[in-house]
Amino acid sequence: MLKKIVNTSVATMVTLGVTAASAQAACTNDVWKKVMERGKVIVGVKADYKPWGYRDPSGKIVGMEIDIAQAMADAMGVELETVAVQSSNRMQFLEQGKTDMFIATMSDRADRRKIVGITSPAYYTSGTNIMAPKALGFKAWEDLRGKPVCGKQGAFYNKVVTERYGVNVVAFTGNAEAKQALRDKKCVAWVYDDSSIGSDLASGEYDAFEMPLSSEDDNPWGLAVPLAERNCVFGNFMSGLIFNMHQDGSLIALEKKWGIKATDYLIKQNAQFADWLK
Amino acid sequence: MSMRSIPGIHSHGKTDLPVLKPFNARAAGEADDLLFSRWLVSIPGYVWFMAIIGLVVGPQFAWAATSYTYSDALEALVKWMPFIVKSGFLFNVLISFFAMLIGTFLGVILGLMQISPNRFIKVPAQIITQTFRNSPWLVLLFIVLLALPFEMTIAGVTIRIPDWMKAVFGLCLPIMANIAEIVRGAVQSVPSGQWEASESLAFTRQQTLWQIILPQCFRRMIPPWMNWYAILTMATPLCSLLGVEEIITLSRQAIEAENNRPELLVPFYGFALLIFFAYCYPIARATLALERRFAVKL
Repeated sequence: MLKKIVNTSVATMVTLGVTAASAQAACTNDVWKKVMERGKVIVGVKADYKPWGYRDPSGKIVGMEIDIAQAMADAMGVELETVAVQSSNRMQFLEQGKTDMFIATMSDRADRRKIVGITSPAYYTSGTNIMAPKALGFKAWEDLRGKPVCGKQGAFYNKVVTERYGVNVVAFTGNAEAKQALRDKKCVAWVYDDSSIGSDLASGEYDAFEMPLSSEDDNPWGLAVPLAERNCVFGNFMSGLIFNMHQDGSLIALEKKWGIKATDYLIKQNAQFADWLK
Repeated sequence: MSMRSIPGIHSHGKTDLPVLKPFNARAAGEADDLLFSRWLVSIPGYVWFMAIIGLVVGPQFAWAATSYTYSDALEALVKWMPFIVKSGFLFNVLISFFAMLIGTFLGVILGLMQISPNRFIKVPAQIITQTFRNSPWLVLLFIVLLALPFEMTIAGVTIRIPDWMKAVFGLCLPIMANIAEIVRGAVQSVPSGQWEASESLAFTRQQTLWQIILPQCFRRMIPPWMNWYAILTMATPLCSLLGVEEIITLSRQAIEAENNRPELLVPFYGFALLIFFAYCYPIARATLALERRFAVKL
């Protein structure tokens, strides 16, 4: 009797396991179909990350990532609706189905790939660096050990620099608050994306500051579709779209349009994916 | 022979007869339920005048060194003001309005449940009230925002629940509990003699409550109720921590769009301070005026 129960339950478990595995493999394309039926794709974008995604004074969200989303919607033949997301909720919104996909300045990390379907190739990369007063003369990351450094909440490298160099990160909700804290000398440096710091320094308003270290963790930025559809229509479509945007140079053009410092990554990808029949 | 002492004149009056004592909303040692309004109204006018002057003039000296001047920052504020008010502050008002509406409705029910003679109604109502009165608002907001789905399908119709609507549900819970306490307190402040009198006149409990007790409570409940509305309105920026689009969220996004210049922090957050003050100050004044008007004259 007992044996029978055990056997049955094992059999059930095996069946369930097989069903689960096959369900993962088979493409249902639910979200893709929903988007097509709706005639509108809902994309999570940043509204507080100039120039990738930010507001114009009328309240509309604009930026480089919104342009990519628009190119996507045009290729799909649907309307585009943007939803402002934050680093802390972008993956949850996608999981819940509140957004169909997101392009929201997210670094492609192993732990994130378990939650959402990040497609490759990446559309951008950035590294981590610091902005610090020239007077302090930092030469290496090690110089920051035990010192207070301002950061932005939700950035993955806060944890990385804390663990690697024993930096004491004080995280703020907004960049303006963090930079004000840097000016107020509440911290010795501001740890952030190297491209963003580069454009700040180029603006001429931070003459007393410098970006003295070599960038670390050059990290691809990933856009994400629902995890179940990464290897289905949606994910393959996004890979193809970004591939084409690398190949025809439209990503480089967008970078220029939004005044972002030219990145080696985009130039390299453009050369690597170049059409051999040119 | 000494004069005969007359109670009430020569000594403190003492009697064993039932005497109707005047209602005192603030007995010694009791918390002031209008503390917030009193505090807001007690801020002298010159403080606000100086705050505005400070916002406009002060920082011009502090940041004279940078190329981005303070008047540039003020110009940016003027440019963004319509957006911040229309898409931001309006939602703070909307959130507070609906949270108050729902909170009051539920709070009245909960408050009346608390004075029920039936223990199975009374005790759960007391537990619910104390739980939500003593939970941090932000925690309640987090739970509601993360637990509620973003869309609901009722009878085949899919309704999208916007974030601000979820914030309404989150904020109406503590309001509900506090309104329940106001209702309970007001009902219990009516002298018990009135219950006994109406019972002797053959009123049922329901009739006594609706026709005799509650009409008297109503006036007493208005000032603390308005006080809670002002507190609630001031608490709505909490939603910005959860990404709900309201004045603080949008101010931050506007600062970002203006290249995150630290000079923008004071004008933008100062503007939020002033607009909240402009909205809540008249409410606080009206609250205290009503309280004075409804107070028992001695």
